[in-house]
Amino acid sequence: MVPTLKGRWLTRILLFLWIGVPITFLFSLYVAGPGSPALPYIGWHYDLLPFQILSLILLVGLVMDPVYFYAQQFRWERDWPFAYFFFFSIIEFVIVLALVWWGVLDFTRSRSELHTSENYLLFTVHFGCVFILSFVAVLGLIQIFMIRWRFKSGEWGRM
Amino acid sequence: MIRFPILLDIYQRGDGPLKRVERISLPETGDYSIGRLSENQIVLDTPEVSKRHATLIVREDGIAVSDRGSTNRTYIGDTEVDISPWDGALPIRIAQFEIHLVAHTAASASETKVNVPQDNATRALASGTPAPAPAPRGQSIEVALNAPSAPDEMRFPRNVFKSEIVSASDIKSSEYFAGESTYLTVGAGLGSFVWADHLRIFGVSKNDIRAIGDDVTPYANYQRLCRNSQIPPHERLRSNSQSTPDNIWGFPGYASRETWKDLKEFRFGGLTHIFQVFGEASLAQTFTPRSGEVFKSIDSEAQRIGWREMFVAGRVLGIRKTNDERYAVAYRVPEDQARGGVRERIMIGKFLHISTGYPATRFTDDLQAFKARFPEEARVFNAYENHEVVYRSIEQNSMPATIVVRGRGIVASRIIQRLYEARSKNKNITIVHQMRNPIAKNEGYRYKRAQRYVYNHIENQAFNWPKGTWGGQLLRETDRASPEERLKIYEALGGTTTADRRDWRNIIQLGLGDGWYKPVFGHFETLELVKTDQGPKIQMRLKAQPNQPPVEVVADYVVDCTGLIGDISHSPLLRDLVETYKLPRTLGVGGGKVGGIFVTSDFEIAALRNGSGRTYAAGQITLGGPQPGVDTFLGMQYSALRSVDHLAILGAPNVSLFGPLRSFSQWIKWCTNTKP
Ligand SMILES: Cc1cc2nc3c(=O)[nH]c(=O)nc-3n(C[C@H](O)[C@H](O)[C@H](O)COP(=O)(O)OP(=O)(O)OC[C@H]3O[C@@H](n4cnc5c(N)ncnc54)[C@H](O)[C@@H]3O)c2cc1C
Repeated sequence: MVPTLKGRWLTRILLFLWIGVPITFLFSLYVAGPGSPALPYIGWHYDLLPFQILSLILLVGLVMDPVYFYAQQFRWERDWPFAYFFFFSIIEFVIVLALVWWGVLDFTRSRSELHTSENYLLFTVHFGCVFILSFVAVLGLIQIFMIRWRFKSGEWGRM
Repeated sequence: MIRFPILLDIYQRGDGPLKRVERISLPETGDYSIGRLSENQIVLDTPEVSKRHATLIVREDGIAVSDRGSTNRTYIGDTEVDISPWDGALPIRIAQFEIHLVAHTAASASETKVNVPQDNATRALASGTPAPAPAPRGQSIEVALNAPSAPDEMRFPRNVFKSEIVSASDIKSSEYFAGESTYLTVGAGLGSFVWADHLRIFGVSKNDIRAIGDDVTPYANYQRLCRNSQIPPHERLRSNSQSTPDNIWGFPGYASRETWKDLKEFRFGGLTHIFQVFGEASLAQTFTPRSGEVFKSIDSEAQRIGWREMFVAGRVLGIRKTNDERYAVAYRVPEDQARGGVRERIMIGKFLHISTGYPATRFTDDLQAFKARFPEEARVFNAYENHEVVYRSIEQNSMPATIVVRGRGIVASRIIQRLYEARSKNKNITIVHQMRNPIAKNEGYRYKRAQRYVYNHIENQAFNWPKGTWGGQLLRETDRASPEERLKIYEALGGTTTADRRDWRNIIQLGLGDGWYKPVFGHFETLELVKTDQGPKIQMRLKAQPNQPPVEVVADYVVDCTGLIGDISHSPLLRDLVETYKLPRTLGVGGGKVGGIFVTSDFEIAALRNGSGRTYAAGQITLGGPQPGVDTFLGMQYSALRSVDHLAILGAPNVSLFGPLRSFSQWIKWCTNTKP
């Protein structure tokens, strides 16, 4: 990848909408207990927790992007190898876990309910699904639909 | 000394005795090409003769013949020759033809030349007589540099193209008219192919596209250059996995295709290709596809989009705007397609595309001078020329041989690799690697905060430009820059580089250790031919570096790897176009000379706009423009996408806007090898 800062942000948002949201929706149905709110008309129960995690992942990513972009300036090729993308995605998730541990989501529910080992396992599996699909998308799925993306430093739209 | 004109008799052996078929007169020094194709100056038209079979090198002080890697070889008398002086005592034999030098007593002075035309078979080559002198060929090195000029206002297409704007109806009623096409691309090489591929996939029918060029195989010219510069089908190229001239999406790339192929045969080593792609361009050695695989993939895409039906064989001689907002393209078809002996044609197109590739190969001045002084000594070669003779002669015995490799680009690396391979047959081969100047580790090119990595006095870079010029921030910077700023960026990012390949590094390490690889620096001051016990050699004296003793090298061969000439004035077609329409040029890197043809960000030659008619360009001829890497697969994909997108916005017939759904459905068609 040879992204610009705007391209990084837009690609991140694209992956959030295309891949993150649908998968997270499935997870939110899965974790929902009997006390969770139900969707109007269909009546399915859902839980917002996976969406809160996904939003945190997005936020951390958006904040990290300028750092990556700055680092990229020292690379002669001005590129960002797929391997870096892979590695730093995991770092970002570790930061998210640390933030949750530290208590950024404590306002949403009681600590005893949130900080269970089942929940941390769930976060990891959830992240793993979103991440693997996003990585595949960056490797080739995006350009099948958006042929100009690879020439536009990761931004959307026409030339 | 040779007396001009030189007269040659061409004989053909049929069932019976030799029959003279033609008498040819060569008016001046020059390199005359011999071959089956009509673009050769001496055409020998039977299947046994290769398309470009041999070259007759005519100099003031002698004649030489050089085989151009032909299938059935070239002989003097009964001796097979690669390149050899020719005194005419024995005829040159090519397949069933014999070329005899006519003794000057028979036709010595110019008075006798008057008599010659009585012999109806005499053809004066390029001397201004009515015989059509083939235009110098852009792709053929020798002719482009040395072709005898043939100024003749009456000659096609000047006789029709009398003004800047020509009348379409006049052309349509002329004998030359060969049809109309909405989309017309000139060159029919890789650039043309990628453009036509985009058009087809965006919705245009094959009936509305025509591609005029020398060879129906889009990669014919490229393959020739690869082969000469020692990249056989199993060797890897320099572009990455996603640079796919056969697939406009760049997915699946060559790496995953190769891996898939390997896995199907239970070779799990193929998985490393995927890791190479993950690590590009710094963690792992960059994946690059094998040339043979790329060619195969292009064959299959050509089949899918109906390239054969779009292809028109011909050499384009001139382009003019028409008075109905279109373009007239004049070309000459090969002899076998002549109609009643007439080979000249004009086709009219609405949307034009020009991608004629490199106009010529480069010979540095000192080598050029040496070649001219010793035409009979085939000692110096351009790496892009056929120079198999070098390897053949040094491999056949274990005589000590010294080869000078000049230049430090990727071709030089490849030639050194080839010479290293030759060392397995002859341990006495020494490589002298001549480079302009030494480069220390910390002296690599700099651009803003980053610096290029140097190894063994050579700058290393995965591709011929930094990756970010193909779609990242560097592309954005060059695209938006003013011409002057652009030049500065080009100068900071450019320069000669080679790829960081482990095998190449090992060869250098090994050679430095064992002493058979020696880097030398500087320009050659003198270049002389010396006779030694082991035959003639080239003696070179290197201009001394400040505070260093002068270096002297005695070599058997020099292989010049300093490149191909991008200067478009070497192409008669482009020179005429630039002069006629005063096309703006880009600023050339290195000394501020002019570069390619100036194109917009959409790769349009804006100065050729003709009402609603449009002309686009791609490849080397647009160098110095919005994108640095124009002469690459990915660069050609980018320019094709830009120009076809531009056509879509203009509302050109059947070019869709190509949104996500169409893109996806077309991709599925690609995967299932269904017509677009
Ligand atoms: C040795 C070598 C290795 C390269 N390796 C790579 C690589 O690994 N990766 C990469 O991305 N790029 C590579 N390139 C660069 C580039 O991709 C190729 O050179 C590519 O073939 C350029 O395409 P083109 O259409 O511009 O020119 P070409 O493919 O050469 O096509 C131009 C065609 O136009 C024809 N023509 C010219 N004038 C006329 C005329 N007046 N009338 C009719 N026809 C005409 C020529 O005969 C030729 O067939 C390499 C180049 C060379 C020389």
